[in-house]
Amino acid sequence: MAKDTYLKKVLGSERYNRIRSSKVLMVGAGGIGCELLKDLVLTGYGQIHIVDLDTITLSNLNRQFLFRKTDIDKSKSLTVANAVQSFNYLNSNLIPHHGNIMDGNQFPIQWWSQFDFIFNALDNLEARRHVNKMCLFLKRPLMESGTTGFEGQIQPIFPYHSECFDCQAKETPKTFPVCTIRSTPSSPVHCITWAKEFLFYQLFDEADSTELNSADKIAGETDDKDQQENLAKEANELIELRNSIISKDKDVFFTELVFKIFKTDIERLLLIDTLWKSRQKPNPLQFSEYESELDNLIADDKNTSILTDDTKVWTILEDLYVLRKSGESLQKRINSGDESSISFDKDDEDTLNFVVASANLRSSIFHIETKSKFDIKQIAGNIIPAIATTNAIISGFSCLSGSDYFKVDAKKIGTDFSSFMNHSRTVYISIRPNKYITSALLSEPNEKCASSSLLSRGVLRISKSDVKAQTLGWLVNTLIDTYDYEEEGLSISLGQSRLIYDVDFDDNLGTKLIDINGFKDGELLFIQDDNDELENLELYITITGEGTLTTLPEFKLRPKKEFAEEDEEDYSMEEVDGNRDTIIIDDEEEKAIDDIVIEEPALKKRKVVE
Amino acid sequence: MSLCNTRLQEERKQWRKDHPFGFYAKPVKDSDGSLNLKIWNAGIPGKATTLWQDAVYPINITFPDEYPSKPPKVKFPAGFYHPNVYPSGTICLSILNEEQDWRPAITLKQIVLGVQELLDSPNPDSPAQEPAWKAFSKDRSLYEKKVREQAKKYANADSS
Repeated sequence: MAKDTYLKKVLGSERYNRIRSSKVLMVGAGGIGCELLKDLVLTGYGQIHIVDLDTITLSNLNRQFLFRKTDIDKSKSLTVANAVQSFNYLNSNLIPHHGNIMDGNQFPIQWWSQFDFIFNALDNLEARRHVNKMCLFLKRPLMESGTTGFEGQIQPIFPYHSECFDCQAKETPKTFPVCTIRSTPSSPVHCITWAKEFLFYQLFDEADSTELNSADKIAGETDDKDQQENLAKEANELIELRNSIISKDKDVFFTELVFKIFKTDIERLLLIDTLWKSRQKPNPLQFSEYESELDNLIADDKNTSILTDDTKVWTILEDLYVLRKSGESLQKRINSGDESSISFDKDDEDTLNFVVASANLRSSIFHIETKSKFDIKQIAGNIIPAIATTNAIISGFSCLSGSDYFKVDAKKIGTDFSSFMNHSRTVYISIRPNKYITSALLSEPNEKCASSSLLSRGVLRISKSDVKAQTLGWLVNTLIDTYDYEEEGLSISLGQSRLIYDVDFDDNLGTKLIDINGFKDGELLFIQDDNDELENLELYITITGEGTLTTLPEFKLRPKKEFAEEDEEDYSMEEVDGNRDTIIIDDEEEKAIDDIVIEEPALKKRKVVE
Repeated sequence: MSLCNTRLQEERKQWRKDHPFGFYAKPVKDSDGSLNLKIWNAGIPGKATTLWQDAVYPINITFPDEYPSKPPKVKFPAGFYHPNVYPSGTICLSILNEEQDWRPAITLKQIVLGVQELLDSPNPDSPAQEPAWKAFSKDRSLYEKKVREQAKKYANADSS
């Protein structure tokens, strides 16, 4: 029996043949990527390109099953491509690329255009946004996927027909206001952030004392004595402490550290009585109460076992012990001359111990729950739990749902993806009982999405000769002529938020394009109409050969959409969990996976939270 | 990212077309001759008939990549004398705080007007520096003297 007999039966021979002759791209060869590549190879995709910029580390091996211990430090993309050869029964042609998918030189738009379908297996927002954008430029279908712990999802993206990756605002890591971190912490994470980003950073990391220095400078400028002294004091105390790492004995450094950080600074905060009107006052650390006990602890070497007791919540005395021990090690490392500065690294025991102990001491001062080293490592190291089974399930859905696209003849439909809107689905999995798997029909693009809806985009093909000979003024006029802007009525930015022209900023008009920093292959021009009549325009720069013809995409800009004031306020995080009708699958009914994805009637409705 | 860029270019356009009297705001010019839309310098005039009048106070506004999901960071020069300004110059203002009143729809214009409002109406419950806060709550004449001195310092602020 031929190797592909069953595949043909399951997929249908037409679809199977299309898959056999297709070229697909998989971005990312990590947790999801390993699982997904296995699926894609066993489905028989004709040519699979794999891109990843990473190398293999020990901590990958528990779930990225294509890697072995001997692969550590090797390129992920090259290694996976080799690893699947042992079961590449259908002879998929595997082409690995070691590189950053966002690199416009290695992966220009022409390179992207060879693919029929793109699978994302990424772990960060920035790269996802980039792939999403490239797919929007080229109108190529994209399968997006992601997992966190037991939760995961896939989202097929059909450009301009279904929601794109940017259509729903994404939650970004929380940042905390300075006020909370420096003066009024109220949860363990505030103290951990303080310990890691403020205290540890200022004491051991690369000296970025610009802020402190500038305070110094201003102090020199003001003629007010009190203010001068106060500022100088605030700025210099930490610098002094940093200096005492080098100049002073370990006992002195430790004592100075404990007194300044956990006593003097807290007492200073207490002076500001309004801070504590509606808050519980912090209790400065009374070090003398612990001093003799601490000395006993230090005297006995057996007690170093405390340092590795990761799951125990340490007492104040133990925190002081760990602070002393880790501070000593860090001090030794700096003074040995091997390291001029030390950055926090969750896998560097000295830095982790220092942060855990100082975060906990601060917590206890502010009457906040203290945590074990294990817990703090998770928070300080931004560790997102990754589970092999979740990755395997999500990859399965990704592959299965991706194969849907090959049911139709791509040549016939071109970029009209409307037929997929009726049956293609986004799928979520979770550990909650009765909600293991849910799915929903695709939504249309968010009408306020800055990536999908509020602009037109295309490729600006500009000849090398024009880049050399023509000025920005020429480009401005060309844009005005092509797209009917009013005279001087547009603004242009290039790349990452760099404005190069508007009517009040015409410094660069006479500059040759070649001399404008960043005007190169793969960069993006973003053009807005000053009169708010035309929609935004995004152009991808492709520099073509000497003497070729410069061309702009041929389309007419649509009128700019207007939203009522209050509408605009809606484009915020709250939209993430907008109501949607979804199917919920009852886990008591044992259904085949195919049924779950495809079957129609909604059993119950529930809110989908991403 | 693209949302950040789109929005900042839009903010620049709206500001150019219309901004409150006496204020200025401009993205900083990079060494390569472009304007960096993520970092702006702006000037806040003190309201007439207040201690802060007849001066324009410089601020620096830095927009994060996640703007407008996240608020910009607004700073006076380090050492600025005001109860709600940190020694580093960072302003503690609820509309600039992600966990409080920041909303993505808040415009640059609203931010600078908010900062102007804060000048003469400090919030004593949210102290950020000792000298100004202490004087404001315990020694009003010293506070007023200091504020007037500071106003003199910024009286001839360059408003280009």
